Amino acid sequence: MTIARLYRSLAEAFPHEFKLAYGDDMLRDGEASIARIAQRRGFAGLLPLLADLVLRLPIEYLNEMRHDIPYAFRTLVKSPGYAAVGVVSMGLGIGLTTNLYSTAWSLLTRQLPGAQHASRLVTPEKPVSWYYIQQYRAEKNLFTGVAAVQTPVQFKVELDGARGTKPQRVFGQIVSPDYFSVLGMAPERGRMLSADDQKPGEAPVVISNRFWRSRLHADPDAIGQTIQINGQNATIIGIAPPRFDGALSTTPAEIFVPTTVAPAMVPELGNNVLLQRNAKAFAALMCLAPGVTIDQAEAALDGITRRLDKLDPMAPPETAGGKRVSLLAAGTRALIPRKVKPAILGFYFVLMAAVMAIACLNLATMLLARGANRRRELAIRLGVGASRFRLVRQMVSEGILLSLVGGAAGFALAYALWALYAHTQLPAGAPPNPDNSLDWHVVAFAFVLALLSGIGFSVLPAFSATKTDIATALKEGAALRLSGHRRFGLRNLAMGAQVAGSLMLLLVTGFLVLGFMRGQSLHTNFNQKTMVLLAVDPVRDGYTAEKARSFFEQLPERLRQSTEVRSFALAAQPPFPSTEDEDDHQLTAEASHIQSGAARQKVGAGYFAAISEPMLAGREFQQRDERIATDGSGMAAIPVILNEKAARALFGGGGAVGKRLRDDQHEYEVIGVVPTLKDAMGMTEAYAYLPLTQRDFVQPPPGGITIIARGHSAADALVGVRAALTAMDPNLTVFNVETLSEYLELTRAHLRTALRIYGGIGLFGLILSAVGLAGITGYAVAQRTKEIGIRMALGAPKNQVLGLVLREGLALIAAGTVIGFLGAFTVAKMVSAITKEFADVFQIGTNDPRLLLGAPLLLAGLALLACYIPALRATKIDPLAALRQD
Amino acid sequence: MTNRIESYLPLKPQSFHILLSLAAGEQHGYGIMQDVLERTTGKVRLWPATLYGTIRRLMEAELIEESPRRPAPELDDARRRYYRLTPLGRRVLDAECARLQALVDAIHTKRRMVTE
Repeated sequence: MTIARLYRSLAEAFPHEFKLAYGDDMLRDGEASIARIAQRRGFAGLLPLLADLVLRLPIEYLNEMRHDIPYAFRTLVKSPGYAAVGVVSMGLGIGLTTNLYSTAWSLLTRQLPGAQHASRLVTPEKPVSWYYIQQYRAEKNLFTGVAAVQTPVQFKVELDGARGTKPQRVFGQIVSPDYFSVLGMAPERGRMLSADDQKPGEAPVVISNRFWRSRLHADPDAIGQTIQINGQNATIIGIAPPRFDGALSTTPAEIFVPTTVAPAMVPELGNNVLLQRNAKAFAALMCLAPGVTIDQAEAALDGITRRLDKLDPMAPPETAGGKRVSLLAAGTRALIPRKVKPAILGFYFVLMAAVMAIACLNLATMLLARGANRRRELAIRLGVGASRFRLVRQMVSEGILLSLVGGAAGFALAYALWALYAHTQLPAGAPPNPDNSLDWHVVAFAFVLALLSGIGFSVLPAFSATKTDIATALKEGAALRLSGHRRFGLRNLAMGAQVAGSLMLLLVTGFLVLGFMRGQSLHTNFNQKTMVLLAVDPVRDGYTAEKARSFFEQLPERLRQSTEVRSFALAAQPPFPSTEDEDDHQLTAEASHIQSGAARQKVGAGYFAAISEPMLAGREFQQRDERIATDGSGMAAIPVILNEKAARALFGGGGAVGKRLRDDQHEYEVIGVVPTLKDAMGMTEAYAYLPLTQRDFVQPPPGGITIIARGHSAADALVGVRAALTAMDPNLTVFNVETLSEYLELTRAHLRTALRIYGGIGLFGLILSAVGLAGITGYAVAQRTKEIGIRMALGAPKNQVLGLVLREGLALIAAGTVIGFLGAFTVAKMVSAITKEFADVFQIGTNDPRLLLGAPLLLAGLALLACYIPALRATKIDPLAALRQD
Repeated sequence: MTNRIESYLPLKPQSFHILLSLAAGEQHGYGIMQDVLERTTGKVRLWPATLYGTIRRLMEAELIEESPRRPAPELDDARRRYYRLTPLGRRVLDAECARLQALVDAIHTKRRMVTE
């Protein structure tokens, strides 16, 4: 009867001790009951009987484990060395993994805090105009709402009540009033922006929780307070929920200004940007209607956009095929194309898995060693009737205990790392650190990780240790070798894996560190400490267009008269900006029709002289170029300077100067070629430099017009520029004052953090693998002490014995090295195939001989040392003593 | 001692039934199961795993113990283990009965007040 068989096998699954005491009775009672109940109530009557067994099973096991854990604790206390290495290994492993996980999770998968619609938010990859957003908004069956966002935007904020204090630069967003309703977000205090906030003349703003706490010191009366934004009065109407740092941006936003405010407050809204059909100034934040998938929305939106483009006389001519719109999920902080997301997550996963695998391997090998040393103890326990499973359970309990303690230590480490990161003082003016705080999610992760790895690293060694021939084990004790010399024994496998895993970790992190470090060193032909950068934005200070134009007309004259300023230039951005995407701007050579992308920078007259870069050909911009391009009629060709990389891409080896280029809007004439400069991140891109035009003076970019000046020292230059500015207008606001080195420092603040993280992981891997290798080889050699003693007693020279041990080690190391190399390159290739940023970084790292030779040599050296020291110690013991050993 | 007894109260229903069945004398597991079934007219059935799990717990708490004494040979099932109450177990059972009795008295009083 099947029920009886089922009952029997369930009863067999109970813990050994329980079965010893009650197993037979339980079986008999069960069978007796089955017969009787089946007779009276049929099959259904038996279900409670089986359910009873199933429910009782885990209870009995937990009861048994209750004794295991204190026992495990006592065992660990008795071998503090092993426990210490275990806790340190697990602590480091879990700490780092948890830290990685919390970073990745908060960026890639955590939904925007407080946004109820987070899972339905999408955004087109490319910016669109206000007009398009209005058209999208009409598609009620696709979207429940579409908001317009400009991000990140810098605001100059003065807090009222503390007037006269230094204005602060605050990063924020310009949003359409429906922004918060699209997000599905309720205010923490006050109210959110709403469609009623359309009244001109009023300036309601919402601030982030962070702004409220750090800048307003959590003032309970913050709602209704007036602050000054770019010199205009605005009223705080609401505070966003905690941890919300704005959608569609990795730069944390602290203030949300509606699109309904006057352009005087927000110059980004000047020039009637809301009325221009082609001003692609906004990101569209869309909330999908229920039941609409992102693919459906993308297809529909593509059609709509195509139709709209066709109606537009100014639109680019229809290009063959290709999608016009591709949508990204926008419910998380980092926006990642859907195709790339698995790869990024995979990269993090591999990194975490490598760290954990090494930590677990360490413990597994040590457990293996201990298992061999406890062979006699285990044999005795088996001999007096303990079940093998019982012993395995005992050893696994030890593992779990160890990794849980390690996990607690690891969580403390993760917390410390997080606190360190959160309190890193960023250079003033940089956007605040994004919020990567640890929460229950991360705690759960660390706990589960500890539990799983505790089981993971102890199960195999436990089975291997308990698989023993009791009689021989009792006779020979610890010195018994594992059953014969197995080439692919667990120990050899572990050692090879250890080397491979460590090398892989070391190489991948090494690639990253080297790649990022290359970015750290920016070579300039002048002393970086002598250059100062300042930004001015007269329009924001209330200048009319005419007045602003004449201001910039006169400024160069004034600066030239200054004795402190040796050279200067104007630009739309600080020099060496971090790279934008070159593919966004396609240029076509008119003669050959060769197309190539080039990132753009707008620079004023004398820019390249000011940064001491020679012209390779042609001339650089002069003040008259700034006027030529002004009319924007498209009649005259706009002068353009290419860097070498762009020139080569477009014109091959031939001279570029005088050649014509065009894009979908304008025609250009190449007037000069400059060397390819690295940007602040160490990347080199194809660049097209356009002249700063009067239009830029009237409608400056968000960061204002940057004045680049060099003097005897940065301080001298600053005095000179300030004097010139004060002479022209003492009330003009000067902001973002910094030396070039300070600016570069700031740009790389996050780069350095990344460097520290990856460097830390690499270093960690090294420490762990050193510990692990030492442990495993130490154990291997210790097992051969008797053999070594015999060899020595028979007259083998010391060197020969050492060579024997090292040779075996070397073979394993070599195998591990090959596997490690393959693994590291696979990861590097895989990740760089998918993301551009990593591709550039890996490109540099994978070509560096220091790393490619150094990493394996370092590891091999460590591994050999780990073989050598215990072997040396073994040769030093008295052969007689070794032979006498039990 | 009283404190120690108090710490066992209130008993879980399964434990109470087992102790109650053993109050009459030593008994084996299957006997306990049948006894409980009869006493409760079939309403309470201690399924084997629960039964022996509870027995294990009662043994660990030293409320019951294995009995070396066997019943009369013609009734004896030699393969089975017999259990009996320890002195402590008996006191705990008494205390639990007293507690339940007090509860029943209270219910009676209440009912009388309602009916009068």
